[in-house]
Amino acid sequence: MTFSALLTKELRSRLRRERSIWLIIAYLCVLGLLGFVFLLRANAFSGGSRVYLLSQTGAQLYALLSLVQLAWVVFIAPAFTATSVNGEKERQTYDLLLCSKLSAFSLLTGKLIAGLANVLLLIVASIPLFSLVFFFGGVAPAQVFAMLLICVMTAIVAGTFGLFCSTLFQRPNVSTAIAYGFCVLWMFAYWVVYYLISSGTPPGNPHAIAWVQGLNAWNPIAALNSVVSGGQGVVTNFTFFRWHLAPWLAFTLISLVVAILLFLLSSAFVKPNTPGRFLAWMRLRSKRMKPSTA
Amino acid sequence: MADSNSNAMIKVQHVYKRYGSVHALEDLSLEVLQGAVYGLIGPNGAGKTTLLRILSALISPTSGQVWLDNEEVTQSPTAIRRKVGYMPDFFGVYPDLTSAEYLEFYAGISGVARRNLASSIKDLLELVNLSEKRDAPVETLSRGMKQRLCLARALIHDPRILLLDEPASGLDPGARVEFRELLRTLQGMGKTIVVSSHILLDLAEMCSHIAIIRAGKLVIEGDVEHVIRALGGAQRIEVRVLERAEEAIQTLKDMPEISSVSLERDDENGQVIHAEFTGNDLALHHILAALLAKNVLVVSFAPLKAVERLEEVYMNIMEGVPSL
Repeated sequence: MTFSALLTKELRSRLRRERSIWLIIAYLCVLGLLGFVFLLRANAFSGGSRVYLLSQTGAQLYALLSLVQLAWVVFIAPAFTATSVNGEKERQTYDLLLCSKLSAFSLLTGKLIAGLANVLLLIVASIPLFSLVFFFGGVAPAQVFAMLLICVMTAIVAGTFGLFCSTLFQRPNVSTAIAYGFCVLWMFAYWVVYYLISSGTPPGNPHAIAWVQGLNAWNPIAALNSVVSGGQGVVTNFTFFRWHLAPWLAFTLISLVVAILLFLLSSAFVKPNTPGRFLAWMRLRSKRMKPSTA
Repeated sequence: MADSNSNAMIKVQHVYKRYGSVHALEDLSLEVLQGAVYGLIGPNGAGKTTLLRILSALISPTSGQVWLDNEEVTQSPTAIRRKVGYMPDFFGVYPDLTSAEYLEFYAGISGVARRNLASSIKDLLELVNLSEKRDAPVETLSRGMKQRLCLARALIHDPRILLLDEPASGLDPGARVEFRELLRTLQGMGKTIVVSSHILLDLAEMCSHIAIIRAGKLVIEGDVEHVIRALGGAQRIEVRVLERAEEAIQTLKDMPEISSVSLERDDENGQVIHAEFTGNDLALHHILAALLAKNVLVVSFAPLKAVERLEEVYMNIMEGVPSL
């Protein structure tokens, strides 16, 4: 009851705002316009083998729309969650939530789901546009499904990190800036590290940069590249103990673990005076331990 | 539980609260009887909000014990939250929601059963006189309406104790009167109410008991008359005369029950004399008779109401009259 009440309130508040509708409209317009311009250009350069070109056009259109979708998700998800808890403090409604029967878990779950609902709405709204690529061929439904999964997992990680920042920092603008900083780092850390390592490594020493490839296992762009290219991209399968995981699957599993960890950390920080509560717990624990050791 | 008044709904015993090096509360002890309207008076930073936050289980005291309805606050905060309705000194509203949705949300997170929800919201909106604004967005409500909506929010789970932090601040006189009437209604419903305010006249008129807090310490508590007598000493009487004020002042000075006399005002409506008085109603009658015997044209003769003296007592305390 407490959780559903919070979720209902959050969805009412968020979806009632005009900007939510405008955001979806703007997103679909940008995505549609990009696709339209791309098709115009592809048509202008067409000639020769028409069948080959159509399937190639479909694959390229799919790659373009997927990349735009991923960028949009990374841009939007933190915005919806990075102010969710400290925004309540700023609005001076946080104390009132603490006075209720709302648990830390319910509070965070409600905030996260409501924040992600906006992002998921964008992803779902874009599905008809993505279905256009099937007219041209060159893209399997499984590829579209994997791309959607990567976008959803990216949204969950970015959203959970935003939520974590909103519990950790008092000021909403600080938590928003840090959440965006994390997302940029997450997207581009691999290439920065790769450049730094490879520039200082003598040629012909592949082992020195092999570990850097491991960073790709949790990189949304690398995962998307592997899906878009049908497994022929820059990233190949990852080996985890005895299992060989496709990049999109490795990305999904790692993202799930990271999101759970971030959520648990947020639960620890969402209630006030975390260090004080921790010290009280330690004192209580040591009191309980004493009689048994005596 | 420590021995004390068994009828007490709230017991605060030797409570200290420190924020780093700042002592917000120091050895504060008080009791609030069941069904009382208890006023907390003190300047900014006196510790009123800290005390209310401790009572609502939002923060824990550094040391000391707080009991609400026979439950220790730090031991059972969840049980306390069911019994307490807390209204902070800010609105804390969601502007996108309507009044009914706002109450529905807080009912939901306070664990109000769904089957009782619609009737509870309807009754509360009626109680705070906001039935017509049921479907109006909260952002369109006036300040007084928002204040009443926040009071309805604090009442949504039918708490036995209401903690109101500066509920009348920022309200115009009309809204303050309405709010005062509302509190009287709630008192009639058997709620125990603790209210903090800077508007002393409001507090004195609506409270059965008051406590004056300064720098985290309790200066005095008790019913309004008791506090004024204890701090202000003698009762004060006001005499308005049309002429012969000097003779009236001399007559008053000659009376053994009068300790000091002063001419407060001299205008076209006559002269107003204030006198410190200790005695009973019969002594008052003798004083009036003495004035009339001297042919002083007395227009009015009355002891000042306790509430009218509260501000003066409060100012004395804040200016450093030693605490009792």
